[in-house]
Amino acid sequence: MENPSSSERWNRAGIDDSMLAMFDASETKDAHQDALDDRITFLDAVRASSIVPEHGKPPTSKIYGAIFHMLRTGKSLELIVGSYKLLVDLDKRFPRVYLSGTDDSRSSSNSSSKLVVVKEAWSPIIDCPDNAHAVGEAGDKRSGEPLDPSSFHVLIEELTEIFSETKFQAASIEPLRNMLLFQYLVIVFEDDFLPRNATLNWSMQRESLLSLLLGSRKINYKGLMKDCMAIICQLSQILQSELSNHLELQESSESKLSKNCHSALSLALLGVLKDTCVSIEKLLVMIMDLDMARKKANIEGHTTRADSPRTPLIDIILDELAYYKDSVPVFLKIFSEPKWKLEIVVQYLWKYITKPSVRTRKSNDYTEDSTFVGALKCFSNKTSTKSLIKKIGVDVVQFLLAHGFQAQLSILSKGNADDNIAGNKEGGVSALVDLCHTFISAFDNLRSTDEHMEILSIGKEALFTAATIISMKS
Amino acid sequence: MDMNDPLDFEVEDALLKSPPINNKRKKIIGLDDLLQDHYREQDKLLEKGNKKANTKAKKKKSSYDDKDSKEAKLTRILKAFGEEQEIPLWGVKVFGDQKAFPPLEFPDLGSCNLLQSFLNNKLNSVVELTEDKGDIFLEGLLVNGWLSKLAFLCGHVEKPVAIWAFNTMLYSSKEELRRSSSDFWCAILSSEREVDRFPFKIDWFPEYTDLRRALDIFGFLFTFSSSAEPNNLDSDTEGPPQNIRSWIRFITACCLIRSKKAIFSAVEAEEIVEIIICLFLDRQFQGLLVLLNDCMEAIVNYFTDQEWCSSCENIAKFIACRVSKDLNCIQTVECISEASSRSKQLRSAVAYQTLFTCFDGVNSGEEILRSLTAINFKDKSCDFFKMYIHLVLIENWVLSNSLIEDNPVIYEMFCRYLQHCSTLISATNLRSYASKVNETTFLFFTLDLVTV
Repeated sequence: MENPSSSERWNRAGIDDSMLAMFDASETKDAHQDALDDRITFLDAVRASSIVPEHGKPPTSKIYGAIFHMLRTGKSLELIVGSYKLLVDLDKRFPRVYLSGTDDSRSSSNSSSKLVVVKEAWSPIIDCPDNAHAVGEAGDKRSGEPLDPSSFHVLIEELTEIFSETKFQAASIEPLRNMLLFQYLVIVFEDDFLPRNATLNWSMQRESLLSLLLGSRKINYKGLMKDCMAIICQLSQILQSELSNHLELQESSESKLSKNCHSALSLALLGVLKDTCVSIEKLLVMIMDLDMARKKANIEGHTTRADSPRTPLIDIILDELAYYKDSVPVFLKIFSEPKWKLEIVVQYLWKYITKPSVRTRKSNDYTEDSTFVGALKCFSNKTSTKSLIKKIGVDVVQFLLAHGFQAQLSILSKGNADDNIAGNKEGGVSALVDLCHTFISAFDNLRSTDEHMEILSIGKEALFTAATIISMKS
Repeated sequence: MDMNDPLDFEVEDALLKSPPINNKRKKIIGLDDLLQDHYREQDKLLEKGNKKANTKAKKKKSSYDDKDSKEAKLTRILKAFGEEQEIPLWGVKVFGDQKAFPPLEFPDLGSCNLLQSFLNNKLNSVVELTEDKGDIFLEGLLVNGWLSKLAFLCGHVEKPVAIWAFNTMLYSSKEELRRSSSDFWCAILSSEREVDRFPFKIDWFPEYTDLRRALDIFGFLFTFSSSAEPNNLDSDTEGPPQNIRSWIRFITACCLIRSKKAIFSAVEAEEIVEIIICLFLDRQFQGLLVLLNDCMEAIVNYFTDQEWCSSCENIAKFIACRVSKDLNCIQTVECISEASSRSKQLRSAVAYQTLFTCFDGVNSGEEILRSLTAINFKDKSCDFFKMYIHLVLIENWVLSNSLIEDNPVIYEMFCRYLQHCSTLISATNLRSYASKVNETTFLFFTLDLVTV
């Protein structure tokens, strides 16, 4: 312990060499159990030298690359899951971007914390998007190297293909590998974006990996977002259907996997599907947050010409949902983040609600209108409701109302919890009860406008919830 | 067959099918390569030794993308040699046949105030809730997320609803219901608003016996022993149902709320740790690594400091005598993460107790180390596989244990043992795992020691 810095340094180099030697050896004896053992040992060794010691150092880029390579090309479940877990743990332990001084009790004022960016840290995404890197076809050969934006898009496209197959199969390990890779990348985006976004400083936010990815000329931004929408809707459908029976049926069919491996895969798959869903929602939410930050910066005059304008994601989502009306229920069912869910519902409704004519509008009422409650109140106008039903169909209206109501409840109950602490209980409760009353009367209006409408189960459940809350709280 | 371009996927087939003449040729070519390999191994060892004095480590070029065809050939030969001593993979079947799932009973509408009180509401003319449709309606409330909203807003979870959701989570065959009910329970358990009490009243909590019964129905073999039965890994039992994921998740959520409610006693928690370690041993659980790891971390931290000392030892003893002394016992040690001091301690304890069962009649760690140092590796009868297992166990016992760091005797003996190994094992021993002992452990762990 006399001279830790120098001894650590040679120690470091020695460990790296040994570990890489192990990895190299494993590469040369493919398809052999020993190779697998060597790779598992390699992962253990990285963990033992970087994560376990109290003052462990992050692995070198080569080591990171080797682990990433395993995640991208691994053929055994053990290896894929192991490398995924290690990468996630390493990122937790050695963040690339973080806010210093967040432990401070007064950190609620963001001015005290400072954003720290570890520039030399390895990243699975290349952050200079227009760097001429010929990845493309030779993907397998360079799978230890970071992905560039176009390979990210390729990954998303692969996922869409996997899920669009009529019978989603558990006969190979590839879907699981791609899903875990995607989940890992979303974690990387998140760890990079969230602290940057917390600074509320556009110059930090615009430098986020996510912003660089979306701004890259190598991807078709709209196409990418549409693919993400497709994935989330496909996943929602897969998770609703009786996939578990599917998986068991597959067992009898021809498969290259052993029985044991197959049952391991089918046990893991449903969980991974659900997690992938959560990841894609996180990605969408982050992009919408980024859009909002950009909008704010634009108003304040902080954007430059380099911030090339991009269609806000919410507009793309609204267009997709307007075009494919069938996807409204599946999308709303799976998308749970209340703030953006409410925003999507409100904007969707307002797109079709006939705006009150200029003459009857009092200028000071106008700002209130564009809220969810404002939209609910519009249902009292029969002609407007009638045209709304005609435009989007009474089922879609029910879905929008019910999900919007649920999202608004979540936001209010979250606010209520804060109020309880602050001692402002009365205001919160009355707002809740008001919301429930407004919702019920909007639904009544909807029913009286279209007397033949079939009330969907989600509509009934929403009414039940509203009525129960009213009777409990008053 | 062209020997210069073996394709990776052919390696295995070639060994099985190729005629004897080919085999001979392989051996002739192979011996040269083996010699080379031998030298290379020795160089590596030398390099290791030199590093202590040498501050400048030679950078080894990472070239994991270039496949050396020579090495591929070598692998073939090594495999041919090693085949006489095939080492079984780790893996124990801890699940047998599932038992009949109990029927899912919906709560009686009369006993469930939530639904009952609505029957007289004037809105029921629209909702049309009736006594006989209560079950489907409740499922809808659950799946669409209303049930947890109501729990939070009304501040109350009634007993019939809690029991129904619990049983749905464990016994439903529909994935959507399983997941929603598991989400519901995890949400109400882990509401973080208040530290030491729930923000609302939960009228019913499951007991450990309920969870244990579920595991039994899933087919878990509580009395399994990996040493007694042959590991028939590909046998035709159906394995655990998908509900097992909810089970693990639920246990994790229960462990995290001890400050609000202690659902398990210390003895029960010990059994849960043992069960989780057993799940790690089943290859069918390889894909649930993250879930199992989280659960392990949660349950290990469930114990109070007082309980932990004896519980840790009990668990270790239980595991040590149940698991065979092959790769399975290594898996039991390595499945325990080193993320927290508690799990490190458990890892060390399991390794220690397993070592005890390997050596009959020893009383202390010192004695184990002493008898290990006495082994002569040059002896033809020396079992390198056993060696390898002992080495991994010792390493985990010593390096995961913070108490041993203060024990210079053990530490010195351990270092001496490592030196002993590195000087005696030569790469000429082609018996499988000899090289493994070299590679996996020394290359970096000896270096680790130097800095401690």
